[in-house]
Amino acid sequence: MTEPRGLDDEDRDGQIVRELLKRSLSAPSLHETPNLLPGVQRRIRRLSRGKFFADGWSTAQTRTSYVIVGLLTIVIVLLAYCALGALGSIGAR
Amino acid sequence: MPLPEELELRFVERLLQRDEQAFNALVRTYEGRIFGLMLRMIGSRAEAEDLAQEVFVQVFKAIGSFRGESKLSTWIYRIAINLCKNRSKYLRVRHAGDEEQLDSMDERVDPTHPHRPTVADIARPDDMVEGREVERIVRRAIFELEPSFRECLVLRDIEDLSYDEIGAITGLPEGTVKSRIHRARGQLKEIVERDLGEKLS
Repeated sequence: MTEPRGLDDEDRDGQIVRELLKRSLSAPSLHETPNLLPGVQRRIRRLSRGKFFADGWSTAQTRTSYVIVGLLTIVIVLLAYCALGALGSIGAR
Repeated sequence: MPLPEELELRFVERLLQRDEQAFNALVRTYEGRIFGLMLRMIGSRAEAEDLAQEVFVQVFKAIGSFRGESKLSTWIYRIAINLCKNRSKYLRVRHAGDEEQLDSMDERVDPTHPHRPTVADIARPDDMVEGREVERIVRRAIFELEPSFRECLVLRDIEDLSYDEIGAITGLPEGTVKSRIHRARGQLKEIVERDLGEKLS
């Protein structure tokens, strides 16, 4: 007949399992959280039919995208200005 | 980290007014914990990401029903656990996800050490606990537990919540929570010892 285990034994077992769990499930790779916000905003936008988070551009894009689009716009405007200037001077002749 | 009570009240007021900036802050504050909880409960990163997003959508939809009877974090955890239970049932019915769960949680297994270490391989018990293979066994073992036991164990031993909070999240009396945690630890120890082929000490 096995002797009933004392409370101390149970506490020790509990402590061992707790430590083991902490070490195993707190591994750094399990903490790499993906960026959930864009996905959440997209779902809410779809569910609310655009009532919330309606500005899809600003919520879906990164800040870098703004810079790239801004620079591209400036380049296009400059090119258009130069092209129109050249056309204007040809027309004047 | 829960917000101080007064700050939380103001924050909830902003959420009730559907303040998008406040909601963004809420997601940023809790996304790590909710994703971590989902990953530990479900095991698959893809499922965990999908579920964690769904948790915040549910929070946004149901914030009007938040009465402030519990902490905001407890209420969010409750939504998360309920969604988790439903998804677990769905996955079990489909018999899908088992392998994926294990694959996702086993990312850190070193392929150069495919054999199981034994106590004899490792000089000190502390080293054994730190062994990647042991971690893998534990991560696998947790999915052999009853989901209701697993949720109490994860909330207590990983999320470090009080029995009271776990009771509020799961809707179980404190005594049942304690009993489930105790039994879950016992079951987990047995499974790990069986897979390891050694007694844990």
